[in-house]
Amino acid sequence: MDRQISEFRLHGRGGQGIVIAASVFAEAVFRDGHYARAFSLFGAERRGAPVTAFIRAGTERLMPRSRIYNPDCVVVFDATISGSTLYAGLKDDGLLLLNAGPGWPETVPQELFENQSYRIYQVDAREIAWKHKLAIGSFPMVNTVMLGAMARVSGLVSIDTLLKSIKQRVSASIDANVKATIDGYENVEEVSGFVTGTI
Amino acid sequence: MAFQMISGSQAAATAVQRVGVDLVAAYPITPQTAIVEALADFSAKGELGGEFVSVESEYAALACCNGAAATGARVFTATASHGLAYMHEMIHWCSGARFPIVMVNVNRTIGAPWCLDPDQGDSLSQRDTGWLQLYCANAQEVFDMVIQAFIIAEELLLPCMVVFDGFYISHTYEAVDVADADQVRKLVGPPAFAPQVIPGQPGNLHGLSTGETHLKLVKDRHQTMLRLPVLFNKINKAFAKQFGRSYNILETQIPSGAKRAIVAAGATAETVRWALPVLADTGLIQLRVFRPFPAAEIRQVIEENELTELLVVDRNCSVGMGGIFAQELRSALYELPKPPQVRSLILAGGVDLTEQMLVDLLQTTGNEENFALRWGDEF
Repeated sequence: MDRQISEFRLHGRGGQGIVIAASVFAEAVFRDGHYARAFSLFGAERRGAPVTAFIRAGTERLMPRSRIYNPDCVVVFDATISGSTLYAGLKDDGLLLLNAGPGWPETVPQELFENQSYRIYQVDAREIAWKHKLAIGSFPMVNTVMLGAMARVSGLVSIDTLLKSIKQRVSASIDANVKATIDGYENVEEVSGFVTGTI
Repeated sequence: MAFQMISGSQAAATAVQRVGVDLVAAYPITPQTAIVEALADFSAKGELGGEFVSVESEYAALACCNGAAATGARVFTATASHGLAYMHEMIHWCSGARFPIVMVNVNRTIGAPWCLDPDQGDSLSQRDTGWLQLYCANAQEVFDMVIQAFIIAEELLLPCMVVFDGFYISHTYEAVDVADADQVRKLVGPPAFAPQVIPGQPGNLHGLSTGETHLKLVKDRHQTMLRLPVLFNKINKAFAKQFGRSYNILETQIPSGAKRAIVAAGATAETVRWALPVLADTGLIQLRVFRPFPAAEIRQVIEENELTELLVVDRNCSVGMGGIFAQELRSALYELPKPPQVRSLILAGGVDLTEQMLVDLLQTTGNEENFALRWGDEF
């Protein structure tokens, strides 16, 4: 484990809470006995605009303080964000976690699935967020669902630790967020192609 | 004392709360906003201890701090980029007036065009204002340097700026060992500098002086600031006793036999430190203090290690001359009989420094045309 670092890159839209999600995940990693950092890139952020956040997790407190160009894991909070930059630099044995499900437009490049070395996971976080009434107006708040899924696919933090971190940071709808996190953890599954029609 | 996962901004605000101040006057600006928010939060919960003054501009923020410091109050402000530039006249004034104000500046590029990335040109363009400047490489250093800045400023009666990179530090959540207020206050103590204004006793403050008088005052400020190295070591002995960690004016990590070193201040120093094991025969000199410039300390490191090459990471550029840290270093090295070669990597605009850039750069040999000056977009 010497000098080993796991690097995550999160893509979403302003208002989805990806910056908070990154910091909650890092906090949970730290609770579980490793070092972690979470940071984000800012421009003229506003609701709906693409946002990028990063997480580093490792065994040492010292870490590089640069952006992440070759992540071990890319997490896409909204698969309708188009552009191959979302998946750029993903390591050959990398993980890709997508929020997508029935009724979503097909925007994920098919070649991602043709690269046999990627492991691709999908969870319909939007649907789960609706189920637990986690939304601001018509805008589903998917971040806790995605956190549950991230814990499951990365294996970096236990669901119990993650829930502790979420309870500490989330001030509203705590019960709904806890249930949404557990649903995200339980419903994420590996896929061999982008599933939009039926899942 | 306990580790908390907090951002660099929260570390700065929490350190101010732990020290205990009489007044905070600040105006929000990206990427410093979270510091003002956190201090306003402490104030709303009744945990700040002092007054939180919302002001209409950065100029007003520092003017308000000046007024309060004149009465012997301990004050704090924070800004970034255009906000710091807007303060410029007041920045000169408070060092001339010997107000021991502590200010955090979160590095951000100054426009045009608008840019949020962490160019150091904002704080470095205040080089000649008579403030001490401390640069931090992570959120722990931010917490610790803000605490130490109050001790330094009040001991020397000079204002002190604590500087760190926007986003790479201000918006990065990481583990910080956050000391309790009683431990911090045991070290810092209450403000004990003499007030220049005493309510009920009318007087004239900072009236018209002659050039000759001014010269004496500037000379005194200069000689006083040069006391920092001795004071810094003394503070850090006490700091180590209280908190189990301490700092040096220069943080050096030079493998035995290495004849070259990378010089960096701020967040990039940590990327360099991380990269050292893959950079053959290369060391790190982290500049913690920019004013006073640690010229003697740098010369000593170079002579002791017989360094022949320095690569300076400058997240800034003085247009028409080059990297500012490189310039200052060249000036400090002039007195050496065999000064090392100084190369400069310019990351103006606050562009990212990666391990790969350092690897590529160090492969460049001295014969190449652009050996001495490289730009961040060449990689």
